[in-house]
Amino acid sequence: MTAGLRSLLLAAASSLAFAGGAAAQTLTIAVGAPVTSIDPHYHNLSPNNALAEHLFDGLTGTDSRARLVPRLAESWRAVDDTTWEFKLRPGVKFHNGNDFTAEDVAFTIARAGNVPNSPSSFGIYTRVVSEVQVVDPHTVRLRTRTTYPLLPVDLSNVMMLDRQTHENAATEDYNSGKVAFGTGAYRFVRYTPGDRIELERNDAYWGQREPWQRVNYRIIVNNAARTAALLAGDVDFIDQVPTTDIARMKQDNRVHVSEVVGLRIIYLALDHSRTDGSPFVAGPNGEALDRNPLKDVRVRRALSMAIDREAITSRVMEGAAIPAGQFLPEGVYSHIPGYGPPRFDPDGARRLLAEAGYPNGLRISIHGPNDRYINDARIIQAVGSFWTRIGVRTQVEAMPWTTFIARAGRQEFSAFLVGWGSSTGEASSPLRSLVATFDREKGFGASNRGRYSNPELDRLLEQALATVDDEKREKLLQDATRIAMDDVSIIPIHIQKNTWAMKRNLRHDARADELTRAQDVRPAN
Amino acid sequence: MTPPPAEAAVTSAALAPATAREETPFRRFVADFAESKVAVGAFVVFVVIALLAIFANVIAPQNPYDLAQLDIMDGRMPPGTVGGAGFTYILGTDDQGRDMFSGILFGLRISLMVGAGSAFIAFIVGTSLGLLAAYFGGRTDTLIMRLVDLQLSFPSILVALMILAFLGKGILNVVIAIVVVEWAYYARTVRGTALVERRREYIEAAECLALSKPRIVFRHLLPNCLPPLIVILTMQVARAIALEATLSFLGLGVPVTEPSLGLLIANGYEYMLSGRYWISFYPGIALLVTIVVINLVGDQLRDVLNPRLRK
Repeated sequence: MTAGLRSLLLAAASSLAFAGGAAAQTLTIAVGAPVTSIDPHYHNLSPNNALAEHLFDGLTGTDSRARLVPRLAESWRAVDDTTWEFKLRPGVKFHNGNDFTAEDVAFTIARAGNVPNSPSSFGIYTRVVSEVQVVDPHTVRLRTRTTYPLLPVDLSNVMMLDRQTHENAATEDYNSGKVAFGTGAYRFVRYTPGDRIELERNDAYWGQREPWQRVNYRIIVNNAARTAALLAGDVDFIDQVPTTDIARMKQDNRVHVSEVVGLRIIYLALDHSRTDGSPFVAGPNGEALDRNPLKDVRVRRALSMAIDREAITSRVMEGAAIPAGQFLPEGVYSHIPGYGPPRFDPDGARRLLAEAGYPNGLRISIHGPNDRYINDARIIQAVGSFWTRIGVRTQVEAMPWTTFIARAGRQEFSAFLVGWGSSTGEASSPLRSLVATFDREKGFGASNRGRYSNPELDRLLEQALATVDDEKREKLLQDATRIAMDDVSIIPIHIQKNTWAMKRNLRHDARADELTRAQDVRPAN
Repeated sequence: MTPPPAEAAVTSAALAPATAREETPFRRFVADFAESKVAVGAFVVFVVIALLAIFANVIAPQNPYDLAQLDIMDGRMPPGTVGGAGFTYILGTDDQGRDMFSGILFGLRISLMVGAGSAFIAFIVGTSLGLLAAYFGGRTDTLIMRLVDLQLSFPSILVALMILAFLGKGILNVVIAIVVVEWAYYARTVRGTALVERRREYIEAAECLALSKPRIVFRHLLPNCLPPLIVILTMQVARAIALEATLSFLGLGVPVTEPSLGLLIANGYEYMLSGRYWISFYPGIALLVTIVVINLVGDQLRDVLNPRLRK
């Protein structure tokens, strides 16, 4: 009797322990943006790239602070100005047992830019490679068309495939799981489009062993539903916590919030394209002006000084952003140490305006999207309120993104709110796209919608893009950034934080590049 | 159909002293209207709301449309907080530091202006077209009434959204959109009434006197078609207010710095679940009360002006 009872209790206890263990080894993640394909080269989109990093590896990778780290390549070096040599990690196997070799690198680079029907091609990362030379099974040399120091950075976005398995495989074969084999920390189990992806641990992984036996990667687009799923315990981990909920979640001791300053800057672009009057700038009584006040650096500086960035980040963004004075946050390559945001100084702003010849102020309209960035319409209203207080009577117009960006691209606005995510994690991306002189052929100024132009900045940028030495390049990028900011080419407002929330017993290494990965989640001890 | 004679007798007995003195149609109308205490109460509330809206700039402690008066550091303050400017935010503030009480008063002003203005313009357009259709008949009638059918076959919010997508934002464009959506109701109603009235003897008499057509239509036909139109007018004012609020809620109506009730509700909508209810709640109540009192007044008007219910 007692023996029977004891064994029964023992059985119950062990089954409980087993259930507890199994539960602890399954991680359920809910992400806010849908994954559109398992094919790592089909659609260059953050949610897809985040999932691809579970199944596949690149030659290089980036850590949570967007710094370059070795992945399938153990080391790399510039042999000369146009040749990069990568030493591959030996003994790496794909999920189906095939070896990873230099041949696979050659195959991957040829395929990445040539996926049929790709809505956003990975060719932007591989186009610069003119030739791939397989030196031996674990050494590969990539020749570039021009001097291109960013190649190792760009290749962190390109997931390596197996020539034997993936030659002639179509995107559908990845989605069905037929060829969804990579070298990554997790193996593919099942993909239900628009709903979830199921993964299991790759026990033959070359890197550190993952704590999760299984990962359910679910897609819950609705913000409220995703938050509710976490609070109800249906999922363990969510991304994109709405700013309105962050404060409440931080106080809730059932959950833990992780956040990190991201790489997306929110800024105001100004009309530099016209000298004789800007369409939405007028004199203090609404009269037309015969010159564009925004061409005067004192006016631009006054507008920048008038904005209380602390108030915007603490009140409008509820702490989910930090005030910005340059493109990138601290700790990221090519950030200028000690170069903070302009000091909030409405009196100084009024003096500067008077000095520039506008003692009675101005009238201006500020435009922006209302459905693109976090709290976008609220930010421009707040800016409008700050400007009105220094005598620049501001009208605020928020509109849907599609309408807005088409008009902004045609230089229809005088001052408008936009954002920029620096995908490369360094300053050449915003410098080249946002403030370099517009030049379609060089690919410069593609998003320079205010048409700012400064020959000195262009010169420094071009020099930086042709400099392989990391330290020298960083100095050049910092110099160019300093020019852009001293000259108020744009008015930086803030850099967004990326926010995740999880059950109390988990810890997360939050990534600056917004990617949500199971590898960054660990049980708390 | 006819109410019990006993009740009618009581009514006329109660009204006897007044009617004995001087029975003008207006006095009779007022007396009939006052029969419903609810309607009178609703009318009083409506007058109060209208006065609040008209004198908003005197009553409100803050001009919510002046960006220089908003302080973002006062954003999302709960009701009863004293702000940086020194006065108490009795209904709290929204995310921009806009005093909700002031915002609601100014918002009511926009709502009532847009509601009354667009309903009245729609009334004029719709009535004119409906009368023309009824009086001239034939092709004119077919043309106008098929247009009405076409118009009524689309959901009104869809039509309004299409018009605003085409014209762009702005209060005037919202009025245009509402007029386009609503004129058809007047046209259809007035045509029905006018078709009956134009076969009456007084119209025949007017035609025998060789009065001009506009004179017959507007001086003889129109006044006799008015009662149902007045009822529709009140109902459509409420509908226009709701439609404006909807369009503003969707971000297609008024500019973000000059919110009407609909936009105030939209501004606070995201905060509902995080405990800051007041940003949406109070403008919502204001909108609700306004529409309900107008509808109550309209209901009573329908009862009073409908001869079949009176006799």
